[in-house]
Amino acid sequence: MKTIRVIYEDGAHKWFAIVRDPGRPDYLVDTNEFLVISGDDAILVDPGGSEVFPAVFSALSTQYDPRKINKVFASHQDPDIISSLSMWMEFNPNIKCYISWLWSSFVPHFGGNRDTFVDIPDGGTDILVGSQRLQAVPAHYLHSSGNFHLYDPKAKILFSGDVGAALMPPGEDNLFVENFDRHIRHAEAFHRRWMGSERAKRDWCSRVSQLDIDMLCPQHGAIYRGADVKRFIDWFAHLEVGVLKG
Amino acid sequence: MAMGYEQTEDSGRELRRIVRINEEIKTVVKTAYRINLMAMNAIFLAKRAGQSALGFGVLSNELRRFATDLEQQMLALGQATGGSVSTVTAMVKEARAIKVLERARAQCEGVGKEIIDDLLRRRSATTFSDRRDQVAALNRNLAMMIESTASLVEMGGVLARSAKIEAAYGGSFSQSLKQVSSDFEGTISEIRKSLDCLSKFQMREFAA
Ligand SMILES: [Fe+2]
Ligand SMILES: [Fe+2]
Repeated sequence: MKTIRVIYEDGAHKWFAIVRDPGRPDYLVDTNEFLVISGDDAILVDPGGSEVFPAVFSALSTQYDPRKINKVFASHQDPDIISSLSMWMEFNPNIKCYISWLWSSFVPHFGGNRDTFVDIPDGGTDILVGSQRLQAVPAHYLHSSGNFHLYDPKAKILFSGDVGAALMPPGEDNLFVENFDRHIRHAEAFHRRWMGSERAKRDWCSRVSQLDIDMLCPQHGAIYRGADVKRFIDWFAHLEVGVLKG
Repeated sequence: MAMGYEQTEDSGRELRRIVRINEEIKTVVKTAYRINLMAMNAIFLAKRAGQSALGFGVLSNELRRFATDLEQQMLALGQATGGSVSTVTAMVKEARAIKVLERARAQCEGVGKEIIDDLLRRRSATTFSDRRDQVAALNRNLAMMIESTASLVEMGGVLARSAKIEAAYGGSFSQSLKQVSSDFEGTISEIRKSLDCLSKFQMREFAA
């Protein structure tokens, strides 16, 4: 079973991180899922692959009624992001899935129907969750060609999908980045290979550095907080991406 | 709750069974096409043999019609199994979902477990048994079609044997007519074998 941790709480406004699955077979990449609730409304952020559904569901249901999840945010189309969609829809067939317009006719291969998907235009959109207004922030070509991050200005949290992801060696499973220099070694090869566009990267860095961010939450690996957020953005800005080797 | 596992196994087996049936159907269609060609040659041969091979010519015509009927029959059979494929694929998908739900249930405690139990109860009461009924109906239909094909093939066998007898009256062409008619016989017994396989696959009952 995965662990569920509250990473932000202000009254009825909460962020949960669902992380680290010790029971996961080693051929599956480890993922982080996030749940944002505001009052009676909830959005599940990058709900994960169908293989990890049991672990995510069981952890989540200890804290929140899964039948009340009525929104899903998918940063992009990858199977580790959204192939569990049909499983979540078992509990609430009326779930709305927010995803780039680019993928809204591809992802239905994982589940959902004509009414399930809400297209996010390239420039991004606001997503209302209870009384909170979250922002889908464009992050195209990082790595997916139709890609969004999710910013909560009140909680000052940026969910950054595959950006910031680190493939941690077994045993290193802390929730937050503790030592940036040591941590970033596990992120370097991933970013060089997966992130395809230098131009998109520079554009993202300049936009995101304007945001007020306390926590940067990637879909794989540990969460950056405090000064490590800026450290990461600077590191990323200087990293050469879109290279096959090195 | 081992139900999900069994259902996946059952649906998987059912799908493999249908694939085997389809492969066998393809074999029969190919053979039927061969009979068609053979019959055409036999008709020309009978024409050349003239008066003495009139009966043989008539039988060759019948065999040609038989081959065409058989081809039609197999096409219809193929369509019927095509229908089963989509029904069974839906079953496989459903059984897989149930399997994942059961894995989730095993990891859950308290509310999570109750929510899944409730969902599984509702699911097994409706969709899965509906689908099972659908497959059973499709299977019955398939069995009937195979049976009527079998009697068609029996008739083909009778035609081939009669052609062999007629070949004896073929005068100087007798030898080559005999050759053609025993080819007919051989090919039809091949079809009979395929059809036996078909009904064997068919009989392997779903959810045994
Ligand atoms: Fe990805
Ligand atoms: Fe990913």
